[in-house]
Amino acid sequence: MRSLDTEVLVIGSGAGGAVTAATLAEAGRTVTVVEEGPWVDPDAIEPFSLDEMVVKYRYGGPAAALGTPSVGYAEGRCVGGSTEINSGLYHRLPGDLAEEWRRTYDIDEFTPDVLDHYAGGIESLLTVSKVPGAPPASSAVIERGATKLGWRSVEFARVFAYDEQGRGTKQTMARTMIPRAVAAGATVVPDCRVVRLLRQGPRVVGARCRRTTPEGATERLDIRADHVFVCCGAIHTPALLQRSGWWSRIGGGLKLHPTVKVAARFPSPLDHGDVPMHRVTEFAPKLTIGGSASRRGQVAMALAESSAEYEDALAEWEHVAVYYAAIRSDSAGRVLTLPRASAPLVTYRLTDADLSRLARGLVNLGELLLAAGATELYPSISQSGVARRQEDLVAWWDGLTRSRANLMTVHLTSSVRMGQEGALSGADSFGRVWGAQHLRVNDASLIPDAPGVNPQAAIMMIAARNAEHFLATA
Amino acid sequence: MTTGSTSAVVTGAAGWLGQNLVRALLSDGRRVRGLVRTPEERSLLELLGPSAEAVVGDVRDPSAVDALFAGVGEATVFHSAAVIHPAKHVRELFDVNVGGTQLVLDRSKRAGAARFLHVSSNSPFGANPTRDHRFTEDSPYHPYLGYGRSKMEAEQLARSYHERGDVPVVILRAPWFYGPFQPPRQTRFIAAVRRGRFPVVGDGSARRSMVYTGNLVQGLLRAERSEAAPGRAYWIADPEPYEVREVVETVRRAAADEGLAVSGGSPRVPVALARAAAALDAVLQARGRYVQPLHVLGELRDTIACDVTRAREELGYDPEVTLYEGMRASIRWCLERGEPV
Repeated sequence: MRSLDTEVLVIGSGAGGAVTAATLAEAGRTVTVVEEGPWVDPDAIEPFSLDEMVVKYRYGGPAAALGTPSVGYAEGRCVGGSTEINSGLYHRLPGDLAEEWRRTYDIDEFTPDVLDHYAGGIESLLTVSKVPGAPPASSAVIERGATKLGWRSVEFARVFAYDEQGRGTKQTMARTMIPRAVAAGATVVPDCRVVRLLRQGPRVVGARCRRTTPEGATERLDIRADHVFVCCGAIHTPALLQRSGWWSRIGGGLKLHPTVKVAARFPSPLDHGDVPMHRVTEFAPKLTIGGSASRRGQVAMALAESSAEYEDALAEWEHVAVYYAAIRSDSAGRVLTLPRASAPLVTYRLTDADLSRLARGLVNLGELLLAAGATELYPSISQSGVARRQEDLVAWWDGLTRSRANLMTVHLTSSVRMGQEGALSGADSFGRVWGAQHLRVNDASLIPDAPGVNPQAAIMMIAARNAEHFLATA
Repeated sequence: MTTGSTSAVVTGAAGWLGQNLVRALLSDGRRVRGLVRTPEERSLLELLGPSAEAVVGDVRDPSAVDALFAGVGEATVFHSAAVIHPAKHVRELFDVNVGGTQLVLDRSKRAGAARFLHVSSNSPFGANPTRDHRFTEDSPYHPYLGYGRSKMEAEQLARSYHERGDVPVVILRAPWFYGPFQPPRQTRFIAAVRRGRFPVVGDGSARRSMVYTGNLVQGLLRAERSEAAPGRAYWIADPEPYEVREVVETVRRAAADEGLAVSGGSPRVPVALARAAAALDAVLQARGRYVQPLHVLGELRDTIACDVTRAREELGYDPEVTLYEGMRASIRWCLERGEPV
């Protein structure tokens, strides 16, 4: 067994962990980051490809939250976490939502001013930008359909940097905050899974890890630390806390943005090198429409979910792109660690109102795509057939049932909510886990509710705020 | 004051409120385009005169709602289509009451509608805390089960379309209706009261606001013209709530005065039984199931009462028909049509 000593241990290297590590290392703290997944050269793998899915996704692709219907979810499992696999959309937490959460959960120092301050700091370190010149054809579809229907749409900013030829590179954590942390002296240990936290009573003193060596062997590694930040995302943060003996209001209240999809076929080819950055905001915040990565693999999966005949459409996959409708859901799920199981049990039960909202989103999405010139629509409803005209859409209302809906999410939050309202929160206003000492959570788990927009900006600004609080107090 | 001479679009045009409303609009010389569900309903509506036109379709269907709005221009939209008692599944409440409302709002916006009158309900507000309490327009949401949640979300949608400047919206909240063109469930209610078979929960002192359909139509037409109304919500009901036992006595008196035999008393049901029904209803609804008799019995224990002061002051609402007169009109309507009242 090997062991290692550090002042601060950060578990997880995604939007929460990387921001935490960079902030603390640059302030002169001795920081060690452990990451369960591999450290992949950001230039080595083509973005949004199937190779990327195999290497950077947990379980090599989507996993399912149990329930009827089940909701598939995807998480990054590599240095940089989900920032390596997402669309890079960057959306500051809306001020009115922050204000509502501040009141409901009694969160200290959570006013729009404070959050904007930290968002500004993040934005000065990443590159947040819009597309120079015309958007990709798959994104223009959204804008064109919305204009035709009189719906509001916006181009979302993304964490992308563009070179002189206009080629964009997503500014993931592996390209930004992780190198900053390393430059300031932080150590990053990839391929290292934390089995459980080490504790002396309520005080956390480190973590017991299982590390895979470059030669493929596994070894036990104990890391002793004065302070531990758990930043493993909304599924694995509560799972690790539970494995380490903390259960009170940990893992319940899981929130997500369930989505339904349509694979839409157009008369002419679309470009597939980028991901749409336009969103329909007409029905926000409860309902948002956008586009997904549409390489051949994603197109094939989306076509298959309709269980219609799709060989013809797949043969012409460059003409097909995948779009989605995402909802804010009324219900909540649970993360539960089971004895001896390596993966936690994740459950989520959609309400009838949620399912209805998804059906409404799907019909809206169908209208949008037809207005934009799509000729065939393959919805993510089993046995649904292909819709070609507006009159075909009404059947989706009754088609999207618990047994036939194929649902998915990439946004998971709220499983260790923050706030001083102890009955609702697993951690205090700055992520300190109730009942524990020297232990903080600093990731999507803290976000008290599903934000209705891409949460990565909110995760980063909250992580930066909590890291500054740590520096001021510990 | 707006002129009110613009044409009218009515969803739920063959429904209980819709039939009363369409007749009132036509007698004011208005052109009416109504959404109905079946060809039979279209024939019924178009028999009312050359100014009445019906579109057959589902309020959730974009192509049907497009046909409803085709060429109507700057119309007033009366959105009265909704599901109160789903056939079986709670989901239907959300599909129609929220999904249908969004679609009609969207097309109202696109057509440049002059005003959108949204027919809402007491159910987003639940029950009053005491017998003497009255809901006002400032009462907070406290939705009662699936229907209440669906109508709350529909109100919130309608309000957002107003606040964004898409279409001027007025929300009208109506409690339990009575009046002509009633559905079979209301005919069964009157028949049960007349035969002494309608259960009164406890001592029957719970209060209920009710609204005569003619009074509600008056409220809608005045809200269409009021300059104060856009962006506001109003309770539209009879002037004062009634005690349940008073409703039962009035229906029996109205039936007798229409020459019907009145028998029995009014059987009493313990409050605990109504509470148990409400609890079972909640459990079933959480599993997506809707059982109408349970729902109705569960709701009978509560006081659901509202204050119509704001509608009187801002809309000039002046409910003219009393419970006794309105119930007699309902019973006459049943008798004329041979309904088994």
